[in-house]
Amino acid sequence: MFYDEPEGKVINLHDSKITRFFKRLGYLIIVIVIAIYFLTGIYVVGPDEVGMVRTLGKFSRQVPPGLHYHLPYPFQTVVKPKVTELRRIEIGFRTLYPGPPPHHQLFPEESLMLTGDENIVDCQYIVQYRISDPYAYLFLIRDAENAVRNAAEAAMREVVGKKGIDEVLTVGRSDVQQEARSLTQEILDSYQSGIDVVAVQLQDVQPPQEVAAAFRDVASAREDRARFINQAQAYRNQVVPQARGEAAKILEEAQAFQATVIKEAEGEAARFLRVLSEYQLNPDISRERIFLETMETVWPQVNKFIFDSQENNESVLKFLPLVTREAEDE
Amino acid sequence: MSRKRLTQLTMVLIIIAVVVIIRPWYILDETEQAVILQLGKPIATIKESGLHLKLPYPLQVVYKFDKRLLEYDSPPEEVITEDKKTLLIDYYARWKIVDPLLFLQTVVSEARAMVRIDDIAYSELRTEVGKVELMDIVATERGQIMERVTAKTNLKAQDFGVEVVDVRIKRADLPSQNEEAVFQRMQTEREQQAKQYRSEGEEEATKVQAAADREKALILAEARKEAQIIRGEGEAEALKIYAEAYNQDPEFFAFLRTMEMYEKSFTEKDTLILTPESEILNYLKSPRQSATRD
Repeated sequence: MFYDEPEGKVINLHDSKITRFFKRLGYLIIVIVIAIYFLTGIYVVGPDEVGMVRTLGKFSRQVPPGLHYHLPYPFQTVVKPKVTELRRIEIGFRTLYPGPPPHHQLFPEESLMLTGDENIVDCQYIVQYRISDPYAYLFLIRDAENAVRNAAEAAMREVVGKKGIDEVLTVGRSDVQQEARSLTQEILDSYQSGIDVVAVQLQDVQPPQEVAAAFRDVASAREDRARFINQAQAYRNQVVPQARGEAAKILEEAQAFQATVIKEAEGEAARFLRVLSEYQLNPDISRERIFLETMETVWPQVNKFIFDSQENNESVLKFLPLVTREAEDE
Repeated sequence: MSRKRLTQLTMVLIIIAVVVIIRPWYILDETEQAVILQLGKPIATIKESGLHLKLPYPLQVVYKFDKRLLEYDSPPEEVITEDKKTLLIDYYARWKIVDPLLFLQTVVSEARAMVRIDDIAYSELRTEVGKVELMDIVATERGQIMERVTAKTNLKAQDFGVEVVDVRIKRADLPSQNEEAVFQRMQTEREQQAKQYRSEGEEEATKVQAAADREKALILAEARKEAQIIRGEGEAEALKIYAEAYNQDPEFFAFLRTMEMYEKSFTEKDTLILTPESEILNYLKSPRQSATRD
């Protein structure tokens, strides 16, 4: 009994210390676990987000960017849609690798559409949108992105279906974008989707591949038309001034001729009058002299045959053909 | 004391465990609605989200349904138009469950509801499209067709607790064999246009060229006319000058001109046949001959 007591006391003392330690440790762990559990309710809403808090499944509040606290799961949960982010949907193509150079995969079943004049056009476009009403976006519509895609496709085809192919390909582009945007917005509003369509932008609008060559040829034909006309105008620009130059030349020549003829006449007249005035002093002698002087120059040059006039004039025929000495020598 | 406490704690835990296991409540998300069946008999339709109490399973059972606007996207289907052309129509429908109890009693699941919606919408679409010609569907009638199909589909969908908000034609395209014909027509249309542009160019070019040629001819003709007038004036002036001078002594002029002419016109090739009586040969016979002349 004596030995038993102290022994038991020692054991008791030892036992109570350890138990107390473990008890304290246990409490501490429980407190830490509980604290950690409650700390899981701390969350940060990014500057481009809003926090949508649900209490036991029911939407309770919308919180702005910043540090916030909600009761831990499963009592409260938060989703944080990015409301300022501009989202983008590609229709008719998908960017596989943004590049450069970018790689695209084409989806002709999305991009080929009928126009109002029963042609087919290939339209690739993008839709830009953002969340305008996070409550509607999260809780009133399922698969909102698909809603945007489908609405945009339907709207684009409806708009293009009202227009002719030439309009869509050229001048009508911005109209198509505008109308498609507002129609897409109208459709999405009717779904209460909470989505704001910022823009519908046509990327590539072209005739289908099968007829692209013919369309290009039309463009080059238009160029040819301009080229033909330009060439003709160049021809005119060349020919008309040339003709004007030629005309000026003709006129100058005529004027030169006129002046020459008149001057010649004046000269000759003056000469004649000078000669005449001298002649009139001694008409006979002058006449004789002029005659002889002329003969002097003429005489040596011509072949001369002299026949006696007593003979019959016909006798000349006997001598025909008359040949000069030089000619005979040859 | 310690043992008593432990027993108490265990009791509490067991109660909690039992409550958690039998769950006499349910949570409805913001996006959900529910129907409560009590022993198979519907007793309530709950649209308010949050925590609700109920009797534990299997006394009361909860069927949850989506409350949001849902989508049904159909595969492309061939539809014949009024003018007997085939159109490949791809539509989608937006719908929601408005009467979950009726929905549960008639179609049960979303998948089966969508089959029903497709049956109805497709047949309505067929009917409506069959009344309109192809190009009118593409261009003008699309909106009205969709409105009518939506209204009729919605009316019939009420039978299974569904509201159809929109039936919308996403794509209305030609089947590939018809597409080929359209491409050919487009091709020939463009070829025709290209030809027109080129011949218009040629036409315009020829016109411009001809006009230029005409202008050239006119300019030259005008100049030649002017030139002839100028030349004529010159000649007239010269004639006048000559006449004035020569009129002083016409006979002497004739003599002088004749002399000049002789000088210019006689060359080695000419032959002069003379008789001794020629005046120029006067002195050939006698030095006195000149006296007789007087």
